[in-house]
Amino acid sequence: MRLEKCWFCSSTIYPGHGIQFVRNDAKIFRFCRSKCHKNFKMKRNPRKVKWTKAYRRLHGKDMTQDSTFEFERKRNRPERYDRNVTENVLKAIKKISKVRHAREEEHHRQRMKGNKVMKLKEDAKELEQSIHLVGPLVKKDDMKKEKIIPLREDHRMEE
Amino acid sequence: MRTNLKVVDNSGAKRVMCIQALKGKKGARLGDMIVASVKEAQAGGKVKKGQVVYGVVVRAAMQRGRCDGSEVKFDDNAVVLVNKQGEPIGTRVFGPVPHELRKKKHVKILSLAEHIA
Repeated sequence: MRLEKCWFCSSTIYPGHGIQFVRNDAKIFRFCRSKCHKNFKMKRNPRKVKWTKAYRRLHGKDMTQDSTFEFERKRNRPERYDRNVTENVLKAIKKISKVRHAREEEHHRQRMKGNKVMKLKEDAKELEQSIHLVGPLVKKDDMKKEKIIPLREDHRMEE
Repeated sequence: MRTNLKVVDNSGAKRVMCIQALKGKKGARLGDMIVASVKEAQAGGKVKKGQVVYGVVVRAAMQRGRCDGSEVKFDDNAVVLVNKQGEPIGTRVFGPVPHELRKKKHVKILSLAEHIA
């Protein structure tokens, strides 16, 4: 049993899933689902389609270089069954995936680091530029009678 | 019926037309045997134009389910000419062929093939 990778989106293809297309030069294209197959038939480049792994890797969205990826590799030589080795492998799989998840989270955090400051800056700029949209509303309301309600409205606009 | 198929062996035929599928009412699928009429042939080959021959469909553009539930499809519709007993007429097979031929007892075609998909 071998878990193949989808040609288009690079997701894992489990046995019994998807379709494979064999070109006349014997190159095999495997697809995980009809979505990927259809995109291939439309001659789309996976590097230009935003939801594929290829795009995300190319644009620095995902972690690309890491020692945890080294374990998952295509090997053409079948391994002779050994109970101890299997046990150790099963233990290692859990550990490795844990490490990988942690590293991926760290990568995501690093990538999103400047976002909050940028968002605040943008909001402040928008408030400054489009304050005139809020201004007349506040002026028209007679502030003396009801002080609370216009203030609330004002806040909502700013957000 | 009436499907034009490419002949991918060195029997001398270039193009054949299916005139009968030997199994199933819906027509032949990947790996099925057909009866065909030779429409184009090279001069000096083993088969002549107009001859009625048997063949095995080795490539089909229509997808076919595999035993594990996934599917396989090819670029074109292609056939290898065989005799009535299922032994290939030519001595070479070009292009990829599916491994399902083994299940259909066409091991000779598989061993002649360049690539097995």
